Amino acid sequence: MMMTRPDMPMTELDDLFAQARAVDPVDDAFMARMLADAYDAQPSAAQVIAQPAPGLWARLIDGLGGWPALGGLSAAAAAGVWLGVMPPVALVDWAGQTLGLTETVTLGVGGDVFGLTEG
Amino acid sequence: MDARVDPSLNNDPHAGMLAAYAAGDRRAARELVQALTPRVFGQAHRMLQDRAGAEDVAQEALVRLWRAAPDWQTGQARVTTWLYRVVANLCLDRLRARRAVADIDAVDAPADPTPGVAAQLQDAARLRALSDALAQLPDRQAQAVALRHLEGLTNPQIAEAMGIGVEAVESLTARGKRALAAILAGRKDELGYDDDQT
Repeated sequence: MMMTRPDMPMTELDDLFAQARAVDPVDDAFMARMLADAYDAQPSAAQVIAQPAPGLWARLIDGLGGWPALGGLSAAAAAGVWLGVMPPVALVDWAGQTLGLTETVTLGVGGDVFGLTEG
Repeated sequence: MDARVDPSLNNDPHAGMLAAYAAGDRRAARELVQALTPRVFGQAHRMLQDRAGAEDVAQEALVRLWRAAPDWQTGQARVTTWLYRVVANLCLDRLRARRAVADIDAVDAPADPTPGVAAQLQDAARLRALSDALAQLPDRQAQAVALRHLEGLTNPQIAEAMGIGVEAVESLTARGKRALAAILAGRKDELGYDDDQT
């Protein structure tokens, strides 16, 4: 049978922790190095002031999710306008079946916006 | 320019100073260095039992803080809590690297030291053994044990620093301490504990 060694008593471990908690004070040379690091990494007040705050449009665009989101939003809006002006027949049929009523409005130049119909 | 902001911000005096630091306030830089250097150095020294290593860790931890300063969110962890975590992680990395080269760097003790010197060497060896044993624990156990028994933090403070619940902290410290006792038991003769009892 293999002999197992008993664990270190917890009181000895606690004594060791207590001994480990004693730390030498920080010396002046080290403190000076730490301060030099802090100054080196610090943005100067002039740099901070020179950075202009973002304008209203920049903040609005950021709020919407930035330029990529704005591109998607524009594409969706254009598709909506197109569907409104030139709806596919299937969409008109589906709307008629679903809503029971559709209404076609002709704006200004009539239905043949691009002059595709001869005569 | 006086860029200082309300020091009671987020109930964390250092967060206000850090905002002032990021705004270019030199006095805030000085005050933060004076307040935080002894803390981070002390924590690193207690974990590593090595002055030069502790200075390196303290330096690295504060450089990370300076880099984080411009984007520091006042609602996030307290500055000291954040530093406890950073220092503990840096120390564990260093302890593991030290263990890996321990055999190469091992230096023989003087053949016949005087009793006073022998006792000092033994004390130093025991403390070094403690930090080496810490490096053998799983990360979270080692962090919890170090914050509890070397830093003297309460369980809720440790829970905040580690981003876990208080019950998990209790479990980690208990298991970690038992594991440390088992690891150190294997080095009792080498560390001269039996000599103390005779």
